[in-house]
Amino acid sequence: MKQKTDVLQGTLALMVLKTLDVLGPQHGYGIARRIEQISGDLLAVNQGTLYPVLLKLEQEGAIASEWGASENNRRARFYRLTRPGRKQLQAETKDWEQTAAIIGRFFDAKAEDLS
Amino acid sequence: MKSLRRFLARVRNFLARRRDDERLREEIEGHIALQTEANLRAGLSPVEARRQAMLKFGGVEAMKQDYRAERSLLFIEHLLGDLRNAARTIRRMPGLATVIIVSLAIGIGVNTTIFSWIQMILFQPMPAVSGASNFLLVEPRSDTSGYPGASWLEYRDLQTQIPSLRDLVASQMVPFNVGVPGQTERTHGQLVSGNYFSALGLKATIGRFIRPEEAEHLGAEPVVVISYDYWQTRFRGAPEAVGQTLRVNDRDLIIIGVAPREFQGTLVPLKFELWVPATMTPALLGGVRDLEDRSSRGFSLIGMLKPGTTRQQAHAELSTAMAQLARNYPDASAGIGGEILSFWEAPRGPQRLLISGLAILQGVMLLLLLAVCGNTANLMLARGSTRQREMAVRVALGAGRWRIVSLVLSENMLLALLGASLGAAFAVWGTTALRIAPMIGAFPILFPTKVDAFTLAFAMLLGAACGLIFSAPPALHLARLDPQDALRSGSNTPPRSRARKVLMGVEVGLASVVLIAAALFLQSFRSASQTDPRFRPEGVLLAAYDLSGRNPNEASDREFAARLLERLRSLPDVEAAAIASNVPLDLHGIPRRSFTVQGRRRTEPGQDQAICNTVTPGYFKVMGIPLLEGTDFADMRDKAAPKQAIVNEEFVRRYLNGANALGRRIQTRTQNLAIIGVARNSVYDAFGEPPQPALYFSYRDRPQDRGEIHLRTRGGNEAALTSETRAVLRELDPMLPLYDVRTLSQHIDRNLYLRRIPARMFAVLGPLLLGLAAVGIYAVVSYAVARRTREIGVRLAFGATSSRVVLQIIRENLGAIAQGIAVGWLLALLISLHAFPNSSFNSGVFLGVPALLLAVATLACWLPARRASQIDPMAALRHE
Repeated sequence: MKQKTDVLQGTLALMVLKTLDVLGPQHGYGIARRIEQISGDLLAVNQGTLYPVLLKLEQEGAIASEWGASENNRRARFYRLTRPGRKQLQAETKDWEQTAAIIGRFFDAKAEDLS
Repeated sequence: MKSLRRFLARVRNFLARRRDDERLREEIEGHIALQTEANLRAGLSPVEARRQAMLKFGGVEAMKQDYRAERSLLFIEHLLGDLRNAARTIRRMPGLATVIIVSLAIGIGVNTTIFSWIQMILFQPMPAVSGASNFLLVEPRSDTSGYPGASWLEYRDLQTQIPSLRDLVASQMVPFNVGVPGQTERTHGQLVSGNYFSALGLKATIGRFIRPEEAEHLGAEPVVVISYDYWQTRFRGAPEAVGQTLRVNDRDLIIIGVAPREFQGTLVPLKFELWVPATMTPALLGGVRDLEDRSSRGFSLIGMLKPGTTRQQAHAELSTAMAQLARNYPDASAGIGGEILSFWEAPRGPQRLLISGLAILQGVMLLLLLAVCGNTANLMLARGSTRQREMAVRVALGAGRWRIVSLVLSENMLLALLGASLGAAFAVWGTTALRIAPMIGAFPILFPTKVDAFTLAFAMLLGAACGLIFSAPPALHLARLDPQDALRSGSNTPPRSRARKVLMGVEVGLASVVLIAAALFLQSFRSASQTDPRFRPEGVLLAAYDLSGRNPNEASDREFAARLLERLRSLPDVEAAAIASNVPLDLHGIPRRSFTVQGRRRTEPGQDQAICNTVTPGYFKVMGIPLLEGTDFADMRDKAAPKQAIVNEEFVRRYLNGANALGRRIQTRTQNLAIIGVARNSVYDAFGEPPQPALYFSYRDRPQDRGEIHLRTRGGNEAALTSETRAVLRELDPMLPLYDVRTLSQHIDRNLYLRRIPARMFAVLGPLLLGLAAVGIYAVVSYAVARRTREIGVRLAFGATSSRVVLQIIRENLGAIAQGIAVGWLLALLISLHAFPNSSFNSGVFLGVPALLLAVATLACWLPARRASQIDPMAALRHE
């Protein structure tokens, strides 16, 4: 149970970083929408869980935030990637790709390949 | 790195108490507004659009929790919340809290005070000397008679023969008479080796210290170093003091320097004022303690290990050196080895007395503290059961077991730490009071203890430990609570009180252990001070005179003593008068001398030794020591009689195999004497010592410059003789002072002084402990009774008499108490068998203490029980 949320949080953090990398500074809703668009139902019910993750990333120094105006002229908190955040994203992307590749090879492997 | 940054951010947020809940709220609102707009664009109705947006966002409260947990240190926030809650709870029970805090404070304060003494002896055995705990004692050890100290020549030999030790230092405590004749004052000082101050690494406040070459040749340099206090009180801190002369034992000594402020010598807790080169001994003490006599062992040696050497190495070197000395000087050193010891292992002297007393005291006081903890646990448990409902509500609302435990823990910890703080304040007060308390007698004692960070840490640690101990029972009890059960049953069923009763029993058991130990200790102290010293101390006045400034010779000394005695004996109130060179039970000890006895061949190496005292005729009469055989010494003016000696029973037993002693001859270094009498054994150095051989010389044969006048009064008030004695002395020599006037009982008191400190503490703490136990029982019983008001009401309504109710309540509680006392009694018995293996079963203590405890316990039960039995049954039944 706990592990699952950890994984979710970890993935979510990586998605947030990637989103900010691709789209530039964004507010929470924007990030949520983008993640929803790409990942489907990951955030369909619990968009709110995004905010603790944002805070964690901010406290770690990977992202920074400041107040700005949203498209409908509301006050909104805009998050942007910092230099350490960008480094972290690169490192984690690499890790993730490696892991994914290994796991992928395992899934592709058939019994005769292993014998 | 990342997590560190995150942690620091949290700490920062926590410290700044940043409450940006506002920011989160605004972000959430913005988020939902944007989502709602998107939903509107998708064609939903405004109401539905907002509802969908909220649904999509998810549980706001749960998210806020996560957010808060992420932002700050939740653990500490909880803790602070608990503490606030605890403070509120404590404020709601001021009476109970006061009892708990004060009893804890007493327990912790006493323990901290004792600890500060022990810590001083362990870590700061010599104030003002940095690294004092690195110094080791170098103690010669005799196979037969313990630790006799070192002789000066031995010191000089050992100085070069223990290469592992840097700077071997010798010192010896001596009383000096300071001042011009007629106005002398007893001042205590140390005779020291030349390297004394340099080895201790001290810096003179002003002037300089004794140089090594000044303690090289006998009688060389008449110099003296004075203590800071002495400088302040006698010279008002004037820098001109250096260079002035100080009249010490009728010799002019030049003051060369002032010791550092805190420095009080190397024999803590004794405080010395003067330091004189040891080589001045013959000049100052008239050769009484001969520096050239290897069997005159009065010096204490200390030294520090050189870097890279070990204690074992030093010990091996010392053993080799001592063996060598024993071969070279079989007369004085045979059978004497050596040991290297830490200060706290001091085998003799004031430190030994103090340490052994303190160790016992600390043990007992920790037990007392444990009893206080039991008491507190009991009270908290009793109180905890009223809070079952509150706790049940908390559990029902979702508080975890750990939150309940931490709630209880924080309450108790707060109490414990408050108690510890107050206790530390007590300890500060206690140590200061001890520092400035005037010490009785002419005996110089100063406890250089203070409460430092280490001691404070000890107090807090004790507090925390106590808190943990007495939190455990109530915390366990409440955490196991079944909320449904607790909420349903309310408060009208009697709570199960097994745990409380067990605790009460344990507490009373502990109290009985401590009380019995305290009583035994007091008894052993009392019996030490009341054991028959085998002389009669009451009714004897002591006073000292000193002729050494009069250029006396043997004849004039003898004549002076004879005339003095004649005058004193003619006083109407004087029953008997005598002069002696030494007084038994002197803190400085009585010298031993070697001799050979006619007709005895010593089988083991070394020389026969005995305690020696030079006395005038009449001494045995004054002291009340019967002569078992033979006669008293010949008259002072008798020129015809041969040189005489009187020995004691132990002497006869040990050196003459119990044969007839009269007429045997004894050869000392200078004289050949005939034994003319046998005196009964008496106490010489300490109460409880094994019988020691003693040899009395006659003042007629060995007149001395100084003497202790012994007067036995006829009337019973020996102190009243003081002025008459002074007048007599003034008639003989108007300029001669009479000093150190005291009764023999006072003299003995000084000897017992160090032992008395722990004994007094026991005397104060025994009743205190009894009071604590009584308060504990009272609180528990009255609490339990209050909870059973309804039940008691039913009983009374059905016709029980109030006395039956009282009896039943007492019976219920006394069961646990009696069991506790029984267990404690057995424990105390085991301890006493271990600690006082030689003493017989002390029935007074072992029956009296349990009886007293039972009586107090019964009273403590009876009071609340009686109150409960007098309630109106109707009121009781309506109660809740």
